[in-house]
Amino acid sequence: MTGSSTTARKTLSKIACNRLQKELLEWQVNPPAGFKHKVTDNLQRWVIEVNGASGTLYANETYQLQVDFPEHYPMEAPQVIFLHPAPLHPHIYSNGHICLDILYDSWSPAMTVSSICISILSMLSSSTVKQRPEDNDRYVKNCRNGRSPKETRWWFHDDKV
Amino acid sequence: MGPNVSLSSALKQAELLREDGNFYFKKERFGAAIDAYTSAITLCPNVAVYWTNRALCHLKRKDWTKLEEDCRKAVRLDNNSVKGHYMLGLALLQRKEYAEGVKQLEKALDLGRGANPKGYMVEEIWQELAKAKYMEWEHASTTRSWELQSLKEACETALQEKHIFEVSQMEGFVDEVDTSLSKQLQTLASVFEIAEEADRPTEVPDYLCCKITLDIFRDPVITPSGVTYERSVILEHLQKVGTFDPITREPLFQSQLVPNLAIKEAVHAFLDKHGWAYRTD
Repeated sequence: MTGSSTTARKTLSKIACNRLQKELLEWQVNPPAGFKHKVTDNLQRWVIEVNGASGTLYANETYQLQVDFPEHYPMEAPQVIFLHPAPLHPHIYSNGHICLDILYDSWSPAMTVSSICISILSMLSSSTVKQRPEDNDRYVKNCRNGRSPKETRWWFHDDKV
Repeated sequence: MGPNVSLSSALKQAELLREDGNFYFKKERFGAAIDAYTSAITLCPNVAVYWTNRALCHLKRKDWTKLEEDCRKAVRLDNNSVKGHYMLGLALLQRKEYAEGVKQLEKALDLGRGANPKGYMVEEIWQELAKAKYMEWEHASTTRSWELQSLKEACETALQEKHIFEVSQMEGFVDEVDTSLSKQLQTLASVFEIAEEADRPTEVPDYLCCKITLDIFRDPVITPSGVTYERSVILEHLQKVGTFDPITREPLFQSQLVPNLAIKEAVHAFLDKHGWAYRTD
């Protein structure tokens, strides 16, 4: 199967490079609360530490997000997944894939890594149960061949959680 | 054979020679390409494209004098030649005719932007223009900074000498004269600090930057929602992502985009004052 997982490895366009450098600079001055960017010299893959917000089910827990940027970022959404172990959440699969509309159909080039992080944290914070999506096993089995979540035809769970 | 027939056959012949030239150019055989274009020019000297094509060979060979000659001829024949003005600008910058070179590049940029909705050679011309403007700023700001520094030192020396003179003239109250000197020196330092501010690279204000590129505007357009974007990227967004405003998500079509002249002028004013913002890398 071909797809985003391979195309994402294409080197960044000049526009993408430029914009990511600006985002990184802005992040260093003004990082979103609860997130830490792990410094590497790889502009195309960011690994970000997430701290669960206090007073929520994920308080005092730390997870890692992996963000891969496609050649034509920000005209294309980045691929965002949780590294193992992914938080237990009704919209997060055990393989780290996240069911969140802005990462797929509802992406807009005006969004940034920082705004994605804030959306993900708010998704975690509003959860009332720690459990996997109902179709977790089936979905994860379907992804065994290393499929990118960007190739999934998502139908989005309700917006409440 | 009437004159018209020979004219059109000359043009046909010249077009074939141009194709030969283009063929050699692609193979980077610039000498052979120049010969072919020269033959085309001999047959039909009034076709601007033959001159700009030959000019491009001179550019590749860094033959600046011939480049300038051919470009001047091309823009005389066709004052709307983007390539003619662009390469003429490059030739002029090469011989440090800064102001005139920038003017040519700006002309090329305007023509390129008007060429079609997507623009013609716009990115390439902008890069060269920004590079020239940045170099100009670097040069001017070095001079300014050196001038300010020596003026500041002269002022400090003058204040100190005045202080020594005043102390020698009076008895008692020396403390007061001391504090007044250190205050004056402090004020002087802050005055010079402010004078250097415009030349100190910092950040471009957000309102002069596109929300998608995060970069300073070049050709800003405004949507019915009131949000301003860089023209080339909002066009790309409408084509590739969807027909909606990226920030408000209201429906948006290309025909609704309008140039934002006020922001364009504000960017111009900002760049005139803060040349460091031309930095492209």
